[in-house]
Amino acid sequence: MSEERYSVARLDEMPRKGRGNWAQIRAHFGIEAFGVNAWTGDEGDTVINDHNEEGSGQQELYYVVSGRATFTVDGEEVDAPAGTFVYPDDPARQRTAVAAEAGTTVLALGGKPGEAYRTLGWEWTSEAFPFFGEERYQEAYDVLAAAEREHPDMPGVLYNLACAEARLGKTDEAVAHLARAIELYPAFTKLARDDPDFDSIRDHPSLSIA
Amino acid sequence: MSVHLTTLDELDSIPVGDHGLRWRPVRRRLGIEGFGVNAWTAQEAGQEVVEHHDETGTGAGKHEELYIVVRGRARFQLDDEEFDAPVGTCVFVRDRTVRRGAYAEEAGTTVLAMGGKPGEVFEVSPWESYFAAIPLFAAGDYDGAGALIRPELERNPDNPSVLYNLACAESLGGRVDEALEHLARAVELNPATAEWARDDKDFDPIREDPRFASAVAGEATTGGESA
Repeated sequence: MSEERYSVARLDEMPRKGRGNWAQIRAHFGIEAFGVNAWTGDEGDTVINDHNEEGSGQQELYYVVSGRATFTVDGEEVDAPAGTFVYPDDPARQRTAVAAEAGTTVLALGGKPGEAYRTLGWEWTSEAFPFFGEERYQEAYDVLAAAEREHPDMPGVLYNLACAEARLGKTDEAVAHLARAIELYPAFTKLARDDPDFDSIRDHPSLSIA
Repeated sequence: MSVHLTTLDELDSIPVGDHGLRWRPVRRRLGIEGFGVNAWTAQEAGQEVVEHHDETGTGAGKHEELYIVVRGRARFQLDDEEFDAPVGTCVFVRDRTVRRGAYAEEAGTTVLAMGGKPGEVFEVSPWESYFAAIPLFAAGDYDGAGALIRPELERNPDNPSVLYNLACAESLGGRVDEALEHLARAVELNPATAEWARDDKDFDPIREDPRFASAVAGEATTGGESA
């Protein structure tokens, strides 16, 4: 089978990563036109993390492939058995989902009207988080530096890149990226203040997070 | 309500073609504009569950496509290759020239299909307009069918598949001049539509009009207004 023109995989055999047992469908196939991922969990597990898409402006559609999930969208709770499509009517809606049965899988699709699809920064940061947990900062840096090349103005990517750089002693780069992240998203000031990743640069004169 | 909800079973089920295929419009139902997404169902084993097509045709969105089998079991065909696809199988077709399709191995097999063009703003595939008009054709509401297709023609004025299907609605609805003009234009843009028209019962009401022969011969007609 040609891997270039088309490819085939089973959802339950796809490599899984991180919290929520994440199947990176888009990345697995190299899909470039829209976002698509799946998360699997047992009863009580978060299968869609608590977030909104105000920053990305992306429309997201969720489809419960198996099991049963409880969605909460802007405080409104929705029971979603297998076969249910859940579509928040505005990217700004806060949404999350928790598995209500063992083996619940939720598919998430995304894209922004009026703009060509671009990989979102969270795909990269989520990939880097396990490396932080294992103190493998160089590997976290490699992932995030690649993300920064693709998303030079994505605050979350810049913030986490700064974390890795600070841990690796790349002080100037860490300070520059953290300052830029805060400029783009001022709420990061508070987060950085207590983030142990920044212990080595917290008192740097170019920053005002101490 | 801050969220739109629906289920596979609640989606419309629109028959497409002669092989049992049913279109379940998801994108259109929910008003999604950022990417393409639809479901396709075969009610019986042996029926088509993914239309056999490539993404180069005039009705196609020219998309890269991802198919996921969400119910039942399908047998996919990609160019010369065939394979079994139980629930959970994901088939990604990057190359728009690959001829792809699937038959159901079990009753009720359903495939979710997603698509978009890399590096480009998502645009709704032209086929959605005339597939959406199928229930109106079936109900004899040809003016309604034409009204559904006409906005797509405004968006894609030189799309022969849209022109052809609009001409079908107009022919059946007694809009003879418009039907002949749109059919002639479709043939001019894609001569294959002349072959489609020869055996298409939708054109029976205008087949005896002398301008019909000119239209399918690729000779431009006059009269009637452009939609």
